[in-house]
Amino acid sequence: MLEIKDLVTEYGSVKALNGISLVAHEGKITTVIGANGAGKSTLLRTISALEHPRSGSITWKNKSIVGLSPEKIVRLGIAHVPEGHAVISQLSVEENIEMGALFRMRSNKTDVLLAIQEIYQLFPRLEERKKQLAGSLSGGERQMLAISRALVSRPSLLLLDEPSLGLAPLVVEQIIQTVNDLCRNTGLTVLLVEQNANTALGVADHGILLSLGTVAADLPAAQMKADVALRAAYLGY
Amino acid sequence: MDIFLSAIFAGTSRGAIYALAALGLVLVWRGAGVVNFAQMGQAMFSTYIASTLIAQNYSYWIAFVVALISGGLLGALVDLLVMRPLNRKKSSSALDSPAMRSTIPVIASLGILGVLQAAAGMIWAAEERGFPTPVNSLGLVINGKIMPFTAFDLFVIGIVFVTLVATTYFFKGTGMGLAMRASALNPEVARLSGIRIGLVRTLSWVISGVASSLAGLLVTPSANLSPYTLDLILIIGFTAAVVGGLDSLLGSVIGGFALGLLVSFVNVYDAPEDIFLAILIVLITVLIIRPQGILGSKEVRRV
Repeated sequence: MLEIKDLVTEYGSVKALNGISLVAHEGKITTVIGANGAGKSTLLRTISALEHPRSGSITWKNKSIVGLSPEKIVRLGIAHVPEGHAVISQLSVEENIEMGALFRMRSNKTDVLLAIQEIYQLFPRLEERKKQLAGSLSGGERQMLAISRALVSRPSLLLLDEPSLGLAPLVVEQIIQTVNDLCRNTGLTVLLVEQNANTALGVADHGILLSLGTVAADLPAAQMKADVALRAAYLGY
Repeated sequence: MDIFLSAIFAGTSRGAIYALAALGLVLVWRGAGVVNFAQMGQAMFSTYIASTLIAQNYSYWIAFVVALISGGLLGALVDLLVMRPLNRKKSSSALDSPAMRSTIPVIASLGILGVLQAAAGMIWAAEERGFPTPVNSLGLVINGKIMPFTAFDLFVIGIVFVTLVATTYFFKGTGMGLAMRASALNPEVARLSGIRIGLVRTLSWVISGVASSLAGLLVTPSANLSPYTLDLILIIGFTAAVVGGLDSLLGSVIGGFALGLLVSFVNVYDAPEDIFLAILIVLITVLIIRPQGILGSKEVRRV
């Protein structure tokens, strides 16, 4: 279980997160929705230590992870797929995936090879293109690759930042469905940040609505999806 | 014809040394994302260390190995004492733009070059001294005819190829090589993948330090050692790296040999004073016509 209490993160004098508290339960999909600038990405970046919080606590499996480095946090089973289909376009598809497992290549090579096989079963298109440069992939394939890079570390918590950004609705559907299957079949915990609230709430167990760095609503996903007044006030539809 | 042939041979052995210098530059560019102008200063420093050992009657090979090790250590020191603290300063808004972040380490490396040259001048009194070669540097004799190249030239060319093959294998065929490329291309994604980028960067400074010391040790027999002798190699090595594509190991070696031949032909058919001019013309022409170099990838050059 990931538990966040009163988290404050600042960029200069701007409070991007202004006292956020939330819980992501094991084996569930928790989605964080909200408008641009609500602090969604900052929340994920603070969890994975790319940003340092000003105050507040982040506990993972009952241990505080504040102050650790991003390299260390991956080793604790938290994998972050940042915004914008983050792959390294000058490396091949294969190398991008392998990169995510380098840190445990020596200690557990057989499992790494197995994990790579599983990824190719999940996304056969990546196997067909494994020798190509990641820069030559389509947007959807890049997002699959970015997720694969995270999955190959065998995380127990996956932080996904706007996987739907810039993708066609059909591709979004496929990617969200894959994440959903992973969660249901392997017990992966997912913290999914999305602007596409409808799609995200459709698969999530729980919804957190952020507004200007604070939690505006914290409800079961189905209930949040049905709340017309909430949607009108914060998401504008 | 004889003049032409000897220009070719002289150019090839010069080219091998430029190739080594260019390799050192490419290594640190690919591993740490920095163009290191202090490189030949580091090489000069470790060559002085070797020369001091030889003057105290140690064998050439002991001095050679000690120089390579000290080249590696010096690389690590540059990273730990200068580059890392600079990287940490990103909280200041003046340093935070991408353009500044890639420029500042380069300026710092020029500063390190100055410090190393001044320090060498203080320690070794800036006197010029000779430096021996490990193998015979007289023209080889084949069929009773003296050839325009020496056993030492062949030795240098051999070392360049071993270094090229070893570093290429390291980058393409090992996990640490992949970690190094990833950290230089996209530090954030590399860290999120669990790569310890600090460690990886220091290692690339060490490897580049060893490669440049190798260039220093091999070039000095044909020049006299002084704090400034290797400046010319740095300029030509940098041009070779740019011609080759800055991120391509093979490209930098091709660029090194091409410039070696160019320098040699200018030397023989024109005049040594025009060498700089010729190099500048090549550098500018390449930057205008093919800015990504012979084998470089376009995207990297955006930085």
